[in-house]
Amino acid sequence: MTNYILKRLGQGLLTVFLTVSTVFILIRLAPGDPAVSYAGPLATTEQLAKVREQFGLDRPVLEQYWIFLQQLFTGNLGTSYSFQAPAMQVVAERMPYTLTLATASILLTAVVAIPLGVWMSRRPDTNRELGVNVLTIAGQSMPDFWTGIMLLTGFAVLIPLFPASGFATWGGLVLPTVTIAILQIALISRMVRREMTANFAAPFLTVARSRGVRNSVLTWRYAMGNSAIPVFTALGTRFAAMLNGVVVVEVVFAWPGVGSLIVRALETRDYPLIQATVLLTALLAVAVQLVIDLAYPLLDPRVRLGKAATA
Amino acid sequence: MNAHDAAGQTNTAHAHTGHQEQALLEIRNFQVELITDAGIVRAVDSVSFSIHRGETVTIIGESGSGKSTTAMGILRLLPEDLAVISGSVLIDGADVIAEPKAIDKVRGKTLALIPQDPMTALSPVHSIGSQLSEAIRIAGAASKEKDAVRARAIRLLEQVHIPTPDKQLKKYPHQLSGGMLQRVLIAIALASEPQLLVADEPTSALDVTVQGGILDLLLELQEQRGIGILMITHDLGVARLISDRIHVMKDGSFVESGEVQQIVEHPATQYTRSLLAAVPVLGPWDETPAVPAGDTASSEDPGVRKNDDGDSTADGDGTAGGDATAVGRPAVGRPAVDTTTTAPGAAPLTRTGVRHD
Repeated sequence: MTNYILKRLGQGLLTVFLTVSTVFILIRLAPGDPAVSYAGPLATTEQLAKVREQFGLDRPVLEQYWIFLQQLFTGNLGTSYSFQAPAMQVVAERMPYTLTLATASILLTAVVAIPLGVWMSRRPDTNRELGVNVLTIAGQSMPDFWTGIMLLTGFAVLIPLFPASGFATWGGLVLPTVTIAILQIALISRMVRREMTANFAAPFLTVARSRGVRNSVLTWRYAMGNSAIPVFTALGTRFAAMLNGVVVVEVVFAWPGVGSLIVRALETRDYPLIQATVLLTALLAVAVQLVIDLAYPLLDPRVRLGKAATA
Repeated sequence: MNAHDAAGQTNTAHAHTGHQEQALLEIRNFQVELITDAGIVRAVDSVSFSIHRGETVTIIGESGSGKSTTAMGILRLLPEDLAVISGSVLIDGADVIAEPKAIDKVRGKTLALIPQDPMTALSPVHSIGSQLSEAIRIAGAASKEKDAVRARAIRLLEQVHIPTPDKQLKKYPHQLSGGMLQRVLIAIALASEPQLLVADEPTSALDVTVQGGILDLLLELQEQRGIGILMITHDLGVARLISDRIHVMKDGSFVESGEVQQIVEHPATQYTRSLLAAVPVLGPWDETPAVPAGDTASSEDPGVRKNDDGDSTADGDGTAGGDATAVGRPAVGRPAVDTTTTAPGAAPLTRTGVRHD
């Protein structure tokens, strides 16, 4: 077990390292000059050269990479050009907002999508199930920026129930959370239905029914118990993805999270800030993935105890 | 030759044992129609039979003959939107067709199912102990206390001859072999002390070496408790071994019904004869018995094969004047149940079939 954890941890760190290295190269290959963004369109060539020298951008790329690696191991990724503050600190300050939004979204998704999927699986081919089915297809198909704007128009402008932007009050959490959750609920509930339907047809369920097990127990203990692993994995993977910043939704709702930060960092070619954002979100995503992997043995005795059939 | 004759014989059989009791299972004009893409298919067509205490009634037929559909239909385990059932099915006096809710009162209480494939019949993410305890609680055990339920679970596993039952409770289905799982499933079925067992090909997914042990166990439990058994099988060896009466099923209806000996010795239809002829003949078996022949039955050991030429021959033609039950299914104190279900009994049976051609 310890070996397993160490192995997964090693793989995770390697993933993070490769990710930040790739990003380091890609942002330097992309068009645009940080010095121009920083000094403004009216700056002279001398001023630009000075800015480049100050940021260390006049050095060869390999040397820049070497400096970056040293920074990486000390945990200090340099000073953000636009914030004039340590890049890691800027990202760390935004992180709780993204974490809050991601957690709220995934909880809402789980709370709605699991019962919804179960409900659909128990009423196949009824009109109501068909209606919900169409709704989930619609939910899957709506782009989140559009959903976000519609919700803003509906519940912040026309009926001003919630604030339109920012996170000044808890009410501000509602619209961005719902926007993200609509798509996730559509995806997860369909998956829950698929898994449940497969398990309802499984022989062990029929046999359990034959010994008088109640319908609710058949549904939750037997069918859901056997659907838990794929559903849990899907929820975990989506949560990890949200930690990278739900970029569009954060921008639409001016959410002070990592997603809107990375948009700004990219616009200004703020290299240290981009690298810090990628490093932190990749670390978090790897950590979440590790937790999911470690949860498998708890959910599935076949993983916990190994395939040891004595047949 | 039809089911009414068989029922009549049953009644007389029970009359001389002293009490005319209600049948455990009484089926009249039972019909199952399956809704398929190609239209409605009548999978079971007007089938009638009954089972009393301590009796084993076998429905035998080839795949697709409707025998399993009959069993599942009786238990109301067919998907309701795909299968329409009609007729009357009285389980311990309650008609589960006319009164669908009645099935909830018999499932896991008077009635239990032993499934076809033990490897897929238990939930893979729940332990043996938790699934067995659940059955004990549903059966309405006297005490629902954890310790009492556990003690009962261990006792049940002991009854089906599972070694170190307290250790097995913690195990998960993937950790046990098919034969052991079938024993666990029988223990689960016995949790409610049922009066009627429906065994849907209980041995067809198992090794030949394990099959005999499972059948032995069923017979042993039947002797101890007088359980009625509805056995579904395609295996004439199994049918001959444990049945009182056999119904031969083809295309959804019974083509022949009667006492075991009569069906085996005087098959009335070509279909039955072909079923008899289909029993494989394993030549070398008779010459090199894996276990020395002997009459001392050891029903505890699931793996023991008994090969007894004399016994097999007697099954075929040696007991013309004897009681039918004693032939097909040795009664209490039976000397040796031929635990290999297909092989040793096969040769004489085939000969019988051929002789009557």
